[in-house]
Amino acid sequence: MFQLNPHSGVPIYRQLCEQVRRMIAGGQLPAGAALPSVRDLAIEHAVNPMTISKAYSLLEAEGLLERHRGRPMTVASRPRLQAGPSQRLNALNSELDRLVLAARQLDLTPTEVIKALREKWEAADAGIRRRTGSR
Amino acid sequence: MQAYVVARDLGKSFGPKCVLRDLDFTVEPGDVVGVLGKNGAGKTTLLEIMLGFSPASHGRVSVFGQESFALSAASKVRIGFVPQQDELLAPLTARDQVATVAAFYPNWDAPLIERLCNAWELDLDERIQSMSVGQRQKLSILLAMGHRPDLLVLDEPVASLDPIARRRFLEQIVEVTAEADRAVVFSSHIVSDVERLASRIWIVQDGALRWQGGLDALKESVVRIRIRNAGAAEALPFRALHVTRSAGHLSAVVDDWSEARHAALCSQFGEAIEVEPLSLEDIFLALHR
Repeated sequence: MFQLNPHSGVPIYRQLCEQVRRMIAGGQLPAGAALPSVRDLAIEHAVNPMTISKAYSLLEAEGLLERHRGRPMTVASRPRLQAGPSQRLNALNSELDRLVLAARQLDLTPTEVIKALREKWEAADAGIRRRTGSR
Repeated sequence: MQAYVVARDLGKSFGPKCVLRDLDFTVEPGDVVGVLGKNGAGKTTLLEIMLGFSPASHGRVSVFGQESFALSAASKVRIGFVPQQDELLAPLTARDQVATVAAFYPNWDAPLIERLCNAWELDLDERIQSMSVGQRQKLSILLAMGHRPDLLVLDEPVASLDPIARRRFLEQIVEVTAEADRAVVFSSHIVSDVERLASRIWIVQDGALRWQGGLDALKESVVRIRIRNAGAAEALPFRALHVTRSAGHLSAVVDDWSEARHAALCSQFGEAIEVEPLSLEDIFLALHR
């Protein structure tokens, strides 16, 4: 379900936070969906359980996850909107930097990249519609 | 809850040779401490003195609130230790070796050992003298876990294990650490294992702790920065390690990175800065170059 790479310079809890945030934004984790338990995820990836619970606690503090007594954590029913569009766009900054650098190295124009980006976007939309059956 | 291990100003000399100095550290319940260091940095001596196998030359260290060198039997049964060189009895079968050790511990968890023997593919009827180094290492680890110690200390536990056995070992340590009142201290050269498991890192360098703290904090405070088109005369506004310049680009490792540093760089160099996070292995290498 998640891809955790202990070798990366990015701390594991951040990788997990990032992926859960994206999966909520992308609809793969709809409201009410249960997350794997700390213990299961720790054993599956052979990482320290505290790393996983740290990520879950951060996401809970952000209002994205809800904790329940004796049951798995779930995606919050109405995730609090944490930030405006410009702030959310900010979170993409490093990915955009990488994309621009790679595109320049390949000698591509902005128009070509934006066209490709739009096609990817539409493919992802179609994927979400298939999975959730919504519009 | 009280810290399991407390060391203050700890040092050790063999004759005129100082092998450990100025060590201050604690191990709290729930900690998983990964101890990294070059060969000969002092990792093994540190673990041995911590557990009281030999007296400190300087300072003090206590385990469960007692001076390590004078631990009571009641404290010793709360410790599990896997030495770098195993202390198995060659003529015995694995089963007899397990029974010999189990006899010392009233709380021996026989079902756990049986389960682990199966999972780790250890044949209890094999004689230790005919076992491979890896099999002996597995047995040695099992023997340190059977009494469910509160403090598990392992010196290079996986050096001879194949990747599958290493993974089983890691999973077992995850199980141990899922119980909040237990702590693990392990040294290893396999940095990726340390990266998976450790909540805290001790980097031992020339007998001193070069760095200690949370793994995440370490990764967030040691980074590589690259600055495109930095003028040859332009200097960084703070001290950095391994500053190199090639074709107008500047690259450096910063070992006390912070938002304030980032802001200082941005105001000097504008958009031309890249901050690259480093893996634990890269950090270890950078601190040793």
